[in-house]
Parts: sequence; C-alpha cells; structure tokens
Amino acid sequence: MSTQKASRIGEEIWKTRIDKVNAELVTLTYGTIVAQLCQDYDSNYQEVNKQLDKMGYNIGMRLIEDFLAKSGVGRCANFRETADMIAKVGFKIFLNVAPTVTNWTSDNNQFSLIFDDNPLADFVELPDDGRAQDELWFSNILCGVLRGALEMVQMQIEAHFVSDVLRGDDTTEMRVSLVRYIEDEMPPEDD
Amino acid sequence: MAAPRIACIGVIGKADNPLHIELFPPYSDSMIEFSFLLNSCLDIFDIRQKQTSIDQDLGLLHAIDERLAAYGWLTTTRVKLLIIVDLFGTETAMSAGSAVSGIKEADLKPAFRALQTAYIQLLQNPFYSPDDHAPTSGSTVGSASSCQQVLNPRFIAAVKRVGEAWTPGAIL
Repeated sequence: MSTQKASRIGEEIWKTRIDKVNAELVTLTYGTIVAQLCQDYDSNYQEVNKQLDKMGYNIGMRLIEDFLAKSGVGRCANFRETADMIAKVGFKIFLNVAPTVTNWTSDNNQFSLIFDDNPLADFVELPDDGRAQDELWFSNILCGVLRGALEMVQMQIEAHFVSDVLRGDDTTEMRVSLVRYIEDEMPPEDD
Repeated sequence: MAAPRIACIGVIGKADNPLHIELFPPYSDSMIEFSFLLNSCLDIFDIRQKQTSIDQDLGLLHAIDERLAAYGWLTTTRVKLLIIVDLFGTETAMSAGSAVSGIKEADLKPAFRALQTAYIQLLQNPFYSPDDHAPTSGSTVGSASSCQQVLNPRFIAAVKRVGEAWTPGAIL
C-alpha cells in the first residue's frame, strides 16, 4: 500500500467516522498533566518522561483496538507500510496531523517521524530552569502510545524523541525502531 | 508633527499586583515616576467600577499633563491593562508645542487587544502558574508589590513589540 493511499484512507476516516473535540481542551488537558507531573516529581524530568511514556503505553494498548475498528485496515506487509499507516492514518485520525516518514535505515527497521505541527504542544513554553530544555520531552506520551499500540499487533518497537521545537530545535522528530516481531508465545504456566 | 507614542505599558493583576511594567524610551529610566502614575490609575479603575457597570475598554483614565495620558482596559477577570501615551512622540521631544491635540480612544483598541492576546497566550502555557503571581491570601496590601512579576520572555517580547509598534491607526 502506498503512502498516498494511506493518506487518502486517513483523510476519509477523519472526515466521516471521527468524533471531534475542541483542540484547546486536548492541549490544555495534556499540558496540565505534564506540568503536574513535573511538580509531583520535583522537576525530575527523566522520571516525567518515563511516566508519560508509561501513560502513553496504556493508552496505546487500548487505542489500537479503536484504530483497527475505525480504519478497518488489515495486516501490514512490512514495516514500511506500518510506518505509513501510523503516520498517515493513525496520527491523522486521532490528532489530525500527518507527520512525515523519513530517514529510513537501509535494513528498513528504523525511521523518523517529523512533526510539522504538534497539537499537544500549542502554547507551550518549557520551564526556564536551565534543565527542562535539555531533559524534558514534552510530547513523550506519543512514544508510549506507539509502543503500546504496536505491541498489541505483535511488534516490539522502541520510540524516542530526538528533537523538539519546544527545545529550540528546527523540527520535532521521533525515532522509531523495530526491535522484533513478537511470535505467538505460549502463555506462562500457572504455578 | 510627531506621532504619539506609547511611553509605558502596565499589566496589573487582580489584586492590584504588578505583573509586568514596560517602559519605552525616552522614559526607560523613570520607573518610580511611572509606578506612581500607574498606581494612581488603579484608583480610577476602582472609582469607575463603583460608579457604573463598565465595558472592558475604559478609554481615557486621566490626562496627567499636556504630554502624558493614561488609558485603561479591564478584563472580565479583573486584570488591568494600562497604557500611558506620550502625545509628543519621541522624535520631536525637544520641540515642544507640536503635540497633537489628542488621539481617538479607538486608536488604542488594537494595542489593548494585542496585549490581551499576549496575556491569554501566557495563561495557556501549562508551565505558567497564575497563583505564583498573586499575593497570598492574608498578606497585607503592602506586600502585594513584593510578589513575583512575570518573567516569561515571550510575553515580555510581545508587550515590547506592542509598545514599539503602536502609532495611531497602526495595525498590530
């Protein structure tokens, strides 16, 4: 399936099958969560990143079900197709953004998502304490969402941000790498 | 004839605590004088609020002398925006007498709107905590001035931009 086709599917679903909510509601709610985490963890930003990732993971595990139901897409043939599906359908229908998929490694196991527009980070300025700019990944929840969602469809991945406009970088870029396809495993035996 | 310029912008919080005061040349060193002026304007806010139910735009608060005039804007959340206009402008500060007779109150509307937008932007930043900038309950009026001013660079830059760019009829 080509990128264009994925874009069309995303566009179509966004227009017809998605309930919309006010963007400020999302932005301010998420902003408050992050700010509260920073306060609760005493500006230990590594810990905040970890918590956001964990929250995202829990969201992703559930969201994938909704995604598959709404999009009705089948299994992806390869990881490249998965990437297009995430960027052009997944992000499109849940956040109405379509990040660019780029910077593939030659083994097709790693790619970058470039976000031109990040609704989670509207209005945001990172705290001016000299550390947040270097340590906090404000939108880290998205990494967790991808990790959780893909794990449910037998893909173990690793995702992290490598740059963020909030930190003063030119782009917001997330790096996603495939660790392995999870084979069906036997359930752990009861002791 | 020189165009009127903004001499001072004051953003004052609900409890009459200064959130941010920005001075513009040639008044950049007159902090104390303008603090007094802004303070006296706050009383006018109070009086007007008692007298009538007022609009956001309070228009001219008072003409301080032939040169300076104070205009006010009150948001629904009681944040006060104050602009002190220098009717002589900066260019011909020497050649007194060439002042324009006055400016229309509507001329300042875009400036107030731009300031309000900047303030809204500030509030929407999740890391800005309005409570840090309000005097704690139970503190006396005297300590109100000791509470923290806004240090957010984007907000300060926006206020500066408004003050520098404004002329009567300008689009901000």
